[in-house]
Amino acid sequence: MSGTLAVYQKELSTYFRSPIAYYVVAVFLLGTGYFFLYNIFLTGEATMAETFQNMGVLLLTLIPVVSMRLFSAEYSARTMELLLALPLKPWQIVLGKYFGAVTMLLLMTVGTLIDLVPLYLFGTPETTTVLSGYVGFVLLGMACLAVGQFFSSLTQNQIVAALITASVLLGYVLRSLFGYLSFALHFADFIRGLVRTEAVTFYLVVGAIALTLNASYLQWRR
Amino acid sequence: MSSSPAVIVLESVSKRYGSKAIIHDLSFTVGKGEIVGFLGPNGAGKTTTMRMIAGVTVATFGRVTVAGYDMATQNADAARQIGYLPEHPPLYDTLDVSAYLRFVAKVKGVRRAAIPVELERVTAACRLEAVVRHEVYKLSRGYRQRLGLAQALLGKPEVLLLDEPTAGLDPGQIQETREVIRSFGADHAVLLSTHILSEVTLICRRVAIINHGRLLAIDSPSGLERAVEQTNRVTLQVTAPAQALREALLSVEGVSSLEIHASPGDHAVLTVDCQVDARDGVEALIARAVASRWDLHRLERQQPTLENIFLKYVKEAPLPGEAA
Repeated sequence: MSGTLAVYQKELSTYFRSPIAYYVVAVFLLGTGYFFLYNIFLTGEATMAETFQNMGVLLLTLIPVVSMRLFSAEYSARTMELLLALPLKPWQIVLGKYFGAVTMLLLMTVGTLIDLVPLYLFGTPETTTVLSGYVGFVLLGMACLAVGQFFSSLTQNQIVAALITASVLLGYVLRSLFGYLSFALHFADFIRGLVRTEAVTFYLVVGAIALTLNASYLQWRR
Repeated sequence: MSSSPAVIVLESVSKRYGSKAIIHDLSFTVGKGEIVGFLGPNGAGKTTTMRMIAGVTVATFGRVTVAGYDMATQNADAARQIGYLPEHPPLYDTLDVSAYLRFVAKVKGVRRAAIPVELERVTAACRLEAVVRHEVYKLSRGYRQRLGLAQALLGKPEVLLLDEPTAGLDPGQIQETREVIRSFGADHAVLLSTHILSEVTLICRRVAIINHGRLLAIDSPSGLERAVEQTNRVTLQVTAPAQALREALLSVEGVSSLEIHASPGDHAVLTVDCQVDARDGVEALIARAVASRWDLHRLERQQPTLENIFLKYVKEAPLPGEAA
C-alpha cells in the first residue's frame, strides 16, 4: 500500500509542477462556465441537465490531455526503468497513477460547483438531479481516465497516446456505433436524475478492465 | 571464484527478443564485499544483463537470483536489496532533488522517521548538498549522474548495479564517485559496467569481459594479465641502419619477433616494437646489444594493459552464428 501511496504523491506533485494541469483545469472551468451561462439564459430554467451534457463532451476532449503522459512520459524520460526496478508491483504503479489522475478529475469537478451558487440563489433546482448528474460525471471521467491510462502505457509518444484515446473515447460517445456500450447512453440516465446500479456498474467495470489490461501489459513487457 | 557468499548469481542465463538472441548462456556470480567490473564493447549485452539482474526485464532461459530471491518471480521482494543506476539516470525533471529522493526512499520502504537521515547520508556521499532544493531539470550532467547514484544508495541495498556511473563526470567527480563505490563495495556486492578500463583496474577485484552476449573471461585484473602475457612488448627508438639493427635484436635471447618503422618527424630514428617472452631482464639485454653500437634514444617495456587484454578477447571471440 505504501508503494501505491508514494507513486500517488509523486504523481500529484508532478501535476502541480507542470503547466498542463493548470491549462486543463482552466480550459475545463472556463468552458463549463460558458456553457452554464449559455444554457441558463437560453432556457431560463434552473437546471444543470444541458450543462452536464456539455461537460461530458468537454471532458472527453480533455481526458486525453491528462492521461497521455501517465506512462508515455515515463517511457520517454526512461524513468519507467526506475519504477520497474523499485519494489513496486505493476498494479501498485497503475493504481498510484490512476488515483493521481482521478484526484485531478475531482478537483476539476469541485471547481464547477461555483456554477451552483447562482443556480440556487435565483432558482430552485432539483438537488437529487444535480447530485446524480455529478455522480455520473465523475464515474464517466473515471472510466475515461482508465482507458486513457491504458493507451498511454502502449506507446512512448504522448501525442500518439492522446490521439488514440481521443478517437476511442469520442467513438464511444456515438450511441449508433456502440449501442449499449456507449458512454453517452449511460450518462444520459444520470443527467435525468437516475442513479441506476446498471449504469454505475458499467462505468466501474469499464474502468476495472482498462486498469487490469494496463497492469497485465506492464507485467508482460518485462 | 570469490570466497565470499554469492549475492548475485546468474545461471545459464539467455535473453531473446523475438528471434534475436541478446545474451547466450551467461553464468557468473558476484560475492559480498566484491566489486566486479563488467567490460564489453557497445552492444555486447552489458545493459541487458544489468536490467535482468535489476528485475526490469526477465531472462528467457536460465535463472537470475539476487540475495536469494529469484528475479523472475520475486523481483518486488528482491528490489529492496538492489540499488540500480541505469545507463541514463532515471530522474523526474519536474521534481526537486529532495522530493525525488524522498519518493525513492518511500518506495524502498525506508521508515518515515528515518527518511531525513537517509537523505542526508546519500546527499553527503554523492556531494549533492548544494543542489538539494534545485529542480532536477536545472541540474548539470554531473549532478544528474550523481543524483542517479544517490537514489541507488538509498535504503542501504545489499547489491549495487551501476551502468557507467562515471559517464559525464569531470576528473574530480570521477575520483569522488569511485571513492563512494569503493567504500560501498567493501561490504556489499557491486557490479560495475564501464568503458573506462583504468577504472576497472583501480577499483574492481574481478573483471568480466563480455561480447556478443557471451562471457569471454572472468578473473582478477592481474589474473587476466598473466593469461595474456604474449602481449609483452619492448619498444625502443634508436638511430641505426635497419638491417643491422634487425639482426642484432633477433640475436638477443628472448626476442621472438620485431617490427621496425621510421619515427614520425625524424627519419634517421627508427622505432622498433619487439615481441619478447615474459622473462625478467630481457629489456636489459636488448639495451646492451643496441647501446654498444648505436645511439639508443628510448627503451620501454610495455606490460600487458587491460586495454590490450580487452581488445585481445573481444577480437578473438568468434561471432556467434545465431546472433547474426
